[in-house]
Amino acid sequence: MKPRYQNRIELLQGTLDLLILQTLRWGAQHGYGIALAIRANSGDILQVDTGSLYPALHRLERQKLIAAEWKVSENNQRVRVYRLSAAGKKQLAAERSRWAQISQAIAGILGPAGEESKA
Amino acid sequence: MKFPWGDAEKRKQELNEEIASHLQMAARDREARGESSAQASAAAQRELGNAGVIQDVTHDQWARTWLEDLLQDVRHSLRTLRKSPGFTSIAVLTLALGIGANTTIFSVVDSIVLRPLPIKDPDQTAVLAFHKGNGPLQFFFSVPDYQEMGDQASASFSGLMCYLSGMDGLAVNGKSDRIMTNYVSGNYFSVLGLKPALGRLILPSEGETLGADPVMVLSYSYWQVHFGGDPNVVGRAVSVNGHPITIVGIAPAGFHGMSPFLSVQGFLPLGMASIGVYPKDFMVNRGERLVIVTGRLQTGITLQQAQSSLGVIGQRLSQTYPDTDKAMNIQAFLRLQAADPQHTTLVISGLFLGLAALVLLLACTNVANILLVRATAREREMAIRAALGAVRSRLIRQLLTESVVLAFLGGVAGLLLGYLGSTTLGSIHLQTDLPVQFDFGFDWRVFTYALVVALLTGVIVGIAPAIRSSSGLATVLREGGRGIAGGKSRLRRALAVAQVAGSLMLLIIAGLYARSLMEAQRIDLGFDPSHVLNLSMDPNQIGYSEAQGREFYKHLLDRVRALPGVESASIAAVVPLGYLSNADTPVIDGYEPPTGQSVPPFLYNVISPDYFETMRIPMVRGRTFTSADDAHTQYVGIVNEAMSKQFWPNQDPIGHHFKLGSEPVHSIEVVGVVKDSRFDSITSPIAPFFYLPFAQHYTFNSLETLQVRTYAAPEAMMPEIQRTIATLSPDLLVFDVETMRQGLYTLGGLLGFQIGAGLAASLGGLGLMLAIVGVYGVVSFAASQRTHEIGIRMALGASPADVLKMVFREGAMIVLVGLAIGLAAAFAAGRVARNFLVVSETDPVTYVTVSVLLATIALAACYIPARRATRVDPMVALRYE
Repeated sequence: MKPRYQNRIELLQGTLDLLILQTLRWGAQHGYGIALAIRANSGDILQVDTGSLYPALHRLERQKLIAAEWKVSENNQRVRVYRLSAAGKKQLAAERSRWAQISQAIAGILGPAGEESKA
Repeated sequence: MKFPWGDAEKRKQELNEEIASHLQMAARDREARGESSAQASAAAQRELGNAGVIQDVTHDQWARTWLEDLLQDVRHSLRTLRKSPGFTSIAVLTLALGIGANTTIFSVVDSIVLRPLPIKDPDQTAVLAFHKGNGPLQFFFSVPDYQEMGDQASASFSGLMCYLSGMDGLAVNGKSDRIMTNYVSGNYFSVLGLKPALGRLILPSEGETLGADPVMVLSYSYWQVHFGGDPNVVGRAVSVNGHPITIVGIAPAGFHGMSPFLSVQGFLPLGMASIGVYPKDFMVNRGERLVIVTGRLQTGITLQQAQSSLGVIGQRLSQTYPDTDKAMNIQAFLRLQAADPQHTTLVISGLFLGLAALVLLLACTNVANILLVRATAREREMAIRAALGAVRSRLIRQLLTESVVLAFLGGVAGLLLGYLGSTTLGSIHLQTDLPVQFDFGFDWRVFTYALVVALLTGVIVGIAPAIRSSSGLATVLREGGRGIAGGKSRLRRALAVAQVAGSLMLLIIAGLYARSLMEAQRIDLGFDPSHVLNLSMDPNQIGYSEAQGREFYKHLLDRVRALPGVESASIAAVVPLGYLSNADTPVIDGYEPPTGQSVPPFLYNVISPDYFETMRIPMVRGRTFTSADDAHTQYVGIVNEAMSKQFWPNQDPIGHHFKLGSEPVHSIEVVGVVKDSRFDSITSPIAPFFYLPFAQHYTFNSLETLQVRTYAAPEAMMPEIQRTIATLSPDLLVFDVETMRQGLYTLGGLLGFQIGAGLAASLGGLGLMLAIVGVYGVVSFAASQRTHEIGIRMALGASPADVLKMVFREGAMIVLVGLAIGLAAAFAAGRVARNFLVVSETDPVTYVTVSVLLATIALAACYIPARRATRVDPMVALRYE
C-alpha cells in the first residue's frame, strides 16, 4: 500500500542538514533552488519550510561545512549561492553512513516490509 | 552589540536581501505557471511565512555561536573530566594547593596594603610627617603646631584634622572594660567625610578646651558587641577613667580609626585627653609631640603641590619657634607610604606573593605534565577528530577549555583552602591585648585575584599540551598509535628542571627564615627573659588620682615581693620588644649636634628601683635608682652604653645632665650606666636608650607592667599574683598577662621571624612535594616509554646495573641542572629578603643543608622508577609490540 500523500513531513532533527549537504553535492545552489531540489527529489513528499531552511543554511555556513557567496543568476538577480566545502564533504560522508545505520536499524525493528498490511 | 567575528549589521542586511531574492524567485515561478503577478507574490509571501521571524532565527545562528561553542566545550570538558576521576581529583587538588597558597597570601596583602579605609575618597587624604634636619621621619606633632598648620595650609588642604590614641577604662553600670580610644579634633569626622550610624559625631566646636565636652562616640562594632546594637545607648551616661561621659552617637559601620590593624572603639574630643594619661599641658606645649595629623587635599591639588606649601609652613615654624621646631621640614604622605616609609611591608608582601606564585607555578608544571601524558594517550582521539573535519584552532580551544575548567575547579577548592589559611593566619596571637583588627576576610579583590589566577593557571597549564597534541596529527595516524614522545619528553624534562629549581629556591628562603628564627632565639638580648612574669595595668583607667596610683604601686610591689617564690619584682612603663614605647628628644647639656643635624627622638623607660635586678641587666658604673629618688629630690636618669658613647665619648657620663624635650623643666642628672639591651628590635643595632625613675615621672606613666622574677616556673605564680592585685584593687583591669619569654614573640620581636619561617616553610614544603611528584612522574614516565628499548638492551646483554644507571642518569641530570638553577635563583631572592633576616642571605649552612636534602629526596624519587626499569622482562617487553 502506498503511503498517504502528506503535504508536509516534519524532518528529524539534523536530517535537513544532511539533505542540504546532499543537494549541494551536485553543485552550488541558492536557498530557493535547494528547497525546490529537495522537493523534486523526494517526489514532492518533503517540503522544506523556509523557516527551517535559512537557519540551517547559516548554521552549516557557520560550521564551515558549506560556503556562501553572492552571484548573479540567469535572471540577472543577485542571489546568495551555497557550495559544499571539503569539511562539508567529509561531514556528508559521515552523516550518510550514520543515516544508513539508523534507517537499517529502524527497518530491522519494524520488520520486513508489507508485514503490517498482511496482518 | 558587536561580536568579534564580523559586522552583525551587514549580515542582517544581506540576510534581508537573500530572503527577498527567495521571494522574487518563488513569485516568478508562480507567474510562469500562469498566476497573476499580484496573486503570485501574495502566494509566495504566504508560503514563506513570517519573514521577520525567519530572519531573527537565522541571525541567531550567528549571534549565539561563541556562547554555544563555549557551553558545548565546557559540557564536553566536564564529561571528559568525569570520565577520569583519578586524574581530575589529583589535578584539581594540586591546583587547589597552589591557588590556595596564593589566595592566603593575597588576602593578607589585601587587608594590609590594598584595602582602603572606609572613608570618603581615601585617595585624597594624606598623612603629615616631618624631618628635623636630617633626622628620622616623625609622625607626631604638637597641638600648637597642628593648629598653626591648619590655619596656614587651607590653600592645599580643605581640612587638617588630628588625633591621639589612648587605652582607657570604660565603665558601664559598674562593669569596666579597657578600650582603645582616639581623642580627635572637632573636624575629624567631617574631614574624613563620615556620617553617624546613630546620634551624632564629634562636632567641630568640640575639643578646643581642656576637659570641656565630656562626650564620646562609640565604634559601630563595639556598640554591636557590647551594647547589642541598642539604640538607647545614645544619651547614656558612662564613665571613662572614672570621669562622667555621655555617649552621643555611633560611628559608621566598618570604621575603626585610621589604622588598618588597630580597632579604635571610642572617639572623644581632643580636649578630653586630659582624662587620659597625657600631661595636662599637651594642648599648649609645643615640645609635646603627641598627635597624628591627617589632611584632605583640596580638589585639583596634587600631593606635590601640597608638599611645597607645607615646606613653607615648616620654614615659618622653624623661624618662629627655634627652641622646638628648628629645621622642621614638613611633608605629606599617602596613608600607605606613611604606614610604610621603608617599604618594608611592600617588599615583604612582594616576596611572599612571589614565593606563593612560585608554588602555583610548580603546581601548574605538575598538572601540565599530567596533561602532556594524557595528551599522548589522547593523540589518537585528536587525530580522528581532526580527520573528521575538526579545525585545529577548535581542537586547541577545546583542550584549553578543558584545562581552564580544571583550573576553575582548582580555584574553587583553592578559595576554600585559602580561606582556611587566612583564618589560621588571622588567629595568630600577637602577644598583646590591644584590640587588634587582623581581618583577613575575603572581599571582591581576593575573589577577583583568585579568578584571574585560576584563569591564567588554566591557560598556562593547557597551552603547551593543547598545541602539542593538535600538531603532527597526521603522523600519529600513520604511526598507528605510537606516540611522538621524543619532543614532548624534552619539554617535560625542562618542566621538571624548573620544578627542582623552584622548590630549591622556596626551601632556601624557608631555611634562611628558620635559621634566622633560631639565631634570633639565641641572640643575647642583654636581659634575661626566663623566669619573668609580666602583668600590665593602668590605675588611671578606674579613675585613680596620681596619689592613689603611687600608693597602689608601692603596696603592690611590697606585697608581691613578700610572696614566697618571688626573687624580685619591679614595674616598668615599657616591656622590651612590646608594642608600647615612650619616646622623647632629649636636650643634652653641653652637647651641640654637628651642624645641620639634630638629636633624634630616643626611646626610654620609666622604672622602679629593682628593675635591673629583675631583668638582670648589669650595671656598668654608677648606681641604680633607690626609693630615695622621688619627686622632691634631684631628678636622675640612667643611660645605656650606646647613649653614653654617643654623648659623652671617652668621658664618665655620671654627673652630666640632660632635659626631656617634652618637659624641659627638670634637669636630669645621669647617675648610672647599664649594659646595652634590646628594647625595640632583635636585629638592628642597639640605639641610645635611657631610664627614668617612676617616682619622678608618674604622669604619662600610670600604665605600668609589673615584672616578677620567680625561682620556679613563672606560670605557676600567675594566679597568686593576680589575686594579690585583685585584693588591692578589685576593679583594676589587668592585661597582657604573659611570661617575658612569651612577650618576646611580638611583631617587633620573634613573631615576625616565626611567621616568616612558618609561611616560607609551608610554601617550601608544598613546593618540595610538588617537585618530587614532578621528578618522579617524569622519570617513571620516561622509563615506561623506553620499556621496549630497555627490553632490547637487556636481550642484547645489558645488565640490570647498566639499565639502572641509564634511567637514573636521566633523572639525576634533571635534579642537578635544577639544583644549579635553583641556587642562582635563591641567591637573587635572598637579596630581597636580606633585610628581614638575622643570618646572612648567603648563609652557607642553609644553602648546603637544603641542597643536600633536596638532592637526596629527588634522587630517591629517581631511583624508584630506575629500579623498576631493571625488572623489565625482555621477553614481555619485546612481545608487547
